[in-house]
Amino acid sequence: MTFKHRNVLALLAATALVASACSSSAATASPVVTPSPVVTEAASATAAPSAPSATATPLALKIGVVTDVGRVDDKNFNQYSYEGAKAAATALGTTAEYVVPKDASDYTKDIQSFIDQKYNVIVTVGFNLGDATIKAAKANPNVWFIAVDVAPCVDATGAPDSTFKCAGDASKLLPHLIGVTFQEDQAGYLAGIVAASVSKTGNIGQLGGINNNPAVVRYLQGYQLGAASYKASTKVQTDFFSTGDLGKAYGDPVFGKTFSTQFIKQKGVDVLFQVAGGTGNGALDAACAANILAIGVDVDEYLSYPTADKCIVTSAEKHLSSAVNQTITAISKGTAAGGVSKFNAANDGIGISPFHNTAITIPADVQGKLDTALAAMKAGTLKTCPDTCGTWK
Amino acid sequence: MTGELASVPALEMRGITKRYPGVVANDHIDLDVRRGEIHALLGENGAGKTTLMNILYGLARPNEGEILLDGKTVQIADPSDAISRGISMVHQHFMLVPVLSVAENVVLGAETMARGPFLDRREASKRIAALAAQFGFELDPDARVGSLSVGQQQRVEILKALYRDAQILVLDEPTAVLTPQETDEIFVLLRRLADDGRSIIFISHKLYEVLAIADRITVIRRGRVIGDRKPGETTEAELAELMVGREVELTVDRGASHVGGPMLHVEGLRVTDERKHEIVPGVSLDIRAGEILGIAGVAGNGQDELIEALIGLRKPSGGKVSLDGRDITGCSPRDMNRAGVGYVPGDRHRFGLILSFPVYDNLILTSYYREPYSHGPLRDGAAVAESADAQVARFDIRVPSSNVATSTLSGGNQQKVIVAREFERPLKLLILDQPTRGLDVGSIEFIHKQIIAKRDAGTAVLLVSAELDEVMEISDRIAVIYRGRIVAELDGRTADKSAVGLLMATGGEANPAEEATA
Amino acid sequence: MSAPAGTAGSGFSLRDWGSSLFWTLAESVTAILLAVVVGGIGITLFSGFLPNNHPAFDVGLPFAAYGALWSGAVGSINGIGSTLSYATPLALAGLGVGLGFKAGLFNIGGRGQFLMGSVGAMAVVTVMGPSQNGLITVPLALIVGGLFGAFAGFIPGALKATSGAHEVVTTIMLNYIFVFATYWAISGPLRLPNSPQAITADASAWGAALPTIHIPEVDILGLHLFGADVLGRDAHYGILLAVLALPVIWFLLFRTTLGFEIRAAGANSDAARYAGMKTKQLVVLTMSMAGGLCGLAGATTLLGVVHQMAPGYDTTIGFDAITVALVGRSNPVGIGLAALLFGGMRAGAQTMQISPGVPGELVDALQMFILLFLVINILRRWMAKRPTGGSALTTGAEVAPLAAEVSK
Repeated sequence: MTFKHRNVLALLAATALVASACSSSAATASPVVTPSPVVTEAASATAAPSAPSATATPLALKIGVVTDVGRVDDKNFNQYSYEGAKAAATALGTTAEYVVPKDASDYTKDIQSFIDQKYNVIVTVGFNLGDATIKAAKANPNVWFIAVDVAPCVDATGAPDSTFKCAGDASKLLPHLIGVTFQEDQAGYLAGIVAASVSKTGNIGQLGGINNNPAVVRYLQGYQLGAASYKASTKVQTDFFSTGDLGKAYGDPVFGKTFSTQFIKQKGVDVLFQVAGGTGNGALDAACAANILAIGVDVDEYLSYPTADKCIVTSAEKHLSSAVNQTITAISKGTAAGGVSKFNAANDGIGISPFHNTAITIPADVQGKLDTALAAMKAGTLKTCPDTCGTWK
Repeated sequence: MTGELASVPALEMRGITKRYPGVVANDHIDLDVRRGEIHALLGENGAGKTTLMNILYGLARPNEGEILLDGKTVQIADPSDAISRGISMVHQHFMLVPVLSVAENVVLGAETMARGPFLDRREASKRIAALAAQFGFELDPDARVGSLSVGQQQRVEILKALYRDAQILVLDEPTAVLTPQETDEIFVLLRRLADDGRSIIFISHKLYEVLAIADRITVIRRGRVIGDRKPGETTEAELAELMVGREVELTVDRGASHVGGPMLHVEGLRVTDERKHEIVPGVSLDIRAGEILGIAGVAGNGQDELIEALIGLRKPSGGKVSLDGRDITGCSPRDMNRAGVGYVPGDRHRFGLILSFPVYDNLILTSYYREPYSHGPLRDGAAVAESADAQVARFDIRVPSSNVATSTLSGGNQQKVIVAREFERPLKLLILDQPTRGLDVGSIEFIHKQIIAKRDAGTAVLLVSAELDEVMEISDRIAVIYRGRIVAELDGRTADKSAVGLLMATGGEANPAEEATA
Repeated sequence: MSAPAGTAGSGFSLRDWGSSLFWTLAESVTAILLAVVVGGIGITLFSGFLPNNHPAFDVGLPFAAYGALWSGAVGSINGIGSTLSYATPLALAGLGVGLGFKAGLFNIGGRGQFLMGSVGAMAVVTVMGPSQNGLITVPLALIVGGLFGAFAGFIPGALKATSGAHEVVTTIMLNYIFVFATYWAISGPLRLPNSPQAITADASAWGAALPTIHIPEVDILGLHLFGADVLGRDAHYGILLAVLALPVIWFLLFRTTLGFEIRAAGANSDAARYAGMKTKQLVVLTMSMAGGLCGLAGATTLLGVVHQMAPGYDTTIGFDAITVALVGRSNPVGIGLAALLFGGMRAGAQTMQISPGVPGELVDALQMFILLFLVINILRRWMAKRPTGGSALTTGAEVAPLAAEVSK
């Protein structure tokens, strides 16, 4: 049937928003000194009941996940979001159920189905479900909503704002809606360190889907700074697949491959980072074909896009599972608040994938540099984004 | 032909009865076939011949009766059981794979397992060559079946049966698809097989063929055996009467024609085919009201293109056609239909009928758009049904009801549907393309009478047929077509058949130059 | 054949009709039942592999799953409304595909036509701006959506009529073009200005949505009647469009001369041509109508359910509608019933996924099995009827008779 296609769409949708991503399951054998999220969860879970909360009894949670179109085991944000919810549920002694919409006409009804069955924490995955989630949150003020990858933009009444002025304060108008977002530049920074380290020529490249998407731009800006931090002389070449056409920017692997092949040839780069959804897959293919190294984005693309696993060094990850897990745990503890919840190195929200590919030699000093950078990010002492953060100059 | 072995029949069918809902297809049929005998099974379409043979071949189970092979009662479970008992069937529609070779087709389904799953081509080829030599088949075992003529394909089917060591060979209307030449060849072959001691059941409704080939003739009508005859002791007329159940006029009395004014006038009509070849380089003919013009010609001499131009399916590249004084050159089929042109196509399944549609819809297929069947864009189902019932009665179409699918009708009744449809309304011109092809004598008689009646009502009739006999029988005038030109016009009553045949084959002396260049 | 001629008419007719309808129904129902059984066995076999921790070989799970499907689809007013709302595009697009089958055409372009219908409707909403009168916009958007879909169907129809390009090939290829045209529209002309991501206007926020079927409260002799969403919160007025389209298409097919021509051309286009029907024009017209119906499916889904288009906007309706048309034997009555069946399965799937936690793919699998069992039967009938010798040797892959067989 159309599963394959739906996957592409899911991916397209996912990256178009860019706010999404994940990690958690990749925690094993991680080169990063991140404490294993599973351990954190277990610890916090066991800690939760014992720490008597000032605010009455702990909430009995029924957790439902509405993924985006595609599959629940997509090794992508559907899967990691659900795994995060499941891990939190297990720790809380409850279960998490999920629904996979068949197409956009299911979004509202799938959310409503959970509400009908008295679920009180509903996780929705991806920007596409954003408006449906906001509307549901407005209509059901007592249900907690976790909108993965969405920074809710509402008007003064708390409805989705079609003018994008975001005049309303979502955290006040919709106090039970939590938008989970990530600091992409930190993940990009780590990827930049690795890219500069494995480059033989000191000439590396990066391709973004579109130049006016702040999330895409933050990834690229972090990558530039990270590469420079490893070796100041590293040259980072940048280009974008499109300046307006989203189909080309995120949904067209064939175009992605053609464009990237040309880019690699002209710029002579030997490592390529891409932030462009399905189009980016084409870039990964092009890197493999050109015999250079590539870096994945959002999720561990060595696992989610095995077609190109022989040239993927690592991926700049959003720790989606961890983020969802932490948010649910916070709700259960009564410490959660509405509005945007930003995930970064400090709360295990971003990271870098394990070096699965043993054929690629990673310089010995890289792990140390990554650890140092991550520690500095946690401490808040490392600048991973320029002043123009989110805007391409 | 019948030796001492003939004391026990090779096949005996006793009291075979097969009932279908509402119909008794076989009603206590007895049939015995001896070794070395060619036994004809004669009957109209729908008489029950095919049902009987399906029972023999294991495709249907009888409700009553028994089958004996060499005197022993047997139960035939399915076709493969029948084949293993030495019974083979050559269907009217061949069961061949066009892309495979002759040898592969013959072996298909009867592969020797000597080499496991691999086909032993050499062994198969050897056996096929031996069989072909024994019976005088002229077949290249390595030829692709798709490239063979219909007659040759039929021989592949027979070879298939022999390869499976068939002792009883059933041929279902084997000559229906053959040219006269091929028919003669197959008869020689069948006789050789019979002389070899095999039994042949030959299903047909063509009287002269049956008389020419059979040793014995069993006539079936409406599921019952009506008579058993030997060719020397009977006549076509008697067989026809047995078949139909009444006296049949094998030749319709065409009567005197009462010719009126000019109706169809064709002048210098030129027609090209899809590849821009000029198939009809200029035909002129006239038909007057109340006259039948027969066009005689070997198939492929431009008849199809001429007809298509006259009914509006093909735009003429030149010339003029007028009907009753009105220029209708290049009109659409619908306009032709409106102008009073009726048409009975040659291939009724492909061009004349929509087999999956009920009979009543086929009865209005060319007039559905008119009152009373339609009022503007809306159909009037009641009017359609009413008219259908009237036509079914008037044209004696044998159907349980006019809303059965047309595919369930016999060939004769299907043709009657077309005839009823086209003849029902007043016509100025009636074009008939092989109107009785494949029909039994009863239906032929009926249709010929209807044509005469239409003529006598003042319609100009254009009859095109590859069956010279038919053209000779009912035409008032005969035009011979050769390479897209009318090469001769003769009086239908006085024309000499062999002279017409010669004109058809050579174009006469009118075109010696063309003959040379061709 | 041995029955007395002509007169026996009406006596046999009802029985013939009845029995053929019976067998047609029986074939579909058998396929559905077989699919349910095979699906049930499948759930049991794979229960241990499901993501949400079911025991292996859970024999009770199929019953729980089917129970949840049933109660989700018809167990409440909201469920029934949801079933109807899912059935609406299935019925409309199913009619589009079925109409093609009747005309001997395989319309695989439902997906593209649906998307174009959505784009057309959204174009109207976008043009009309943030505060609009739904009474004007909604009908206009539906009409434009239908026209966009009709255009999407017109192209393969015209290609077939002019160059003989087979509609299966052209509709499949056009699907890709329309998918990308939709992306382009969403990220270009239909995109909301200032949006950080490509997204279109929200028809419901702009007052251009098909409203929920609602009967205002009336006060009769002190009794407060109605005043409710009589079919639940999901049942929008687009449902009425499908309810209307079914008899209209039935009427078109069986009560008009055009319908007669369409059916004739589908069953035997040569005979139709010889009978004076303009078969090429019929191909173009039928494909346009089919596209229009699929476009309406897209427009009603957009205006009644989704309200807004984002880059992932897509549909499986092209495929689902083929199943609906096959199960419904291309007959509008059958299509209506099949649409209800599959709509119900989709509505119930939500309940089923939540509890007992069986993946929604079960519904897809059931649909595939139904299709498989039906197609086996249809092919078997077609093969049995196909002449194998003589003239058939020259015939290549002629699909139209198969399409006609499909529509029986």
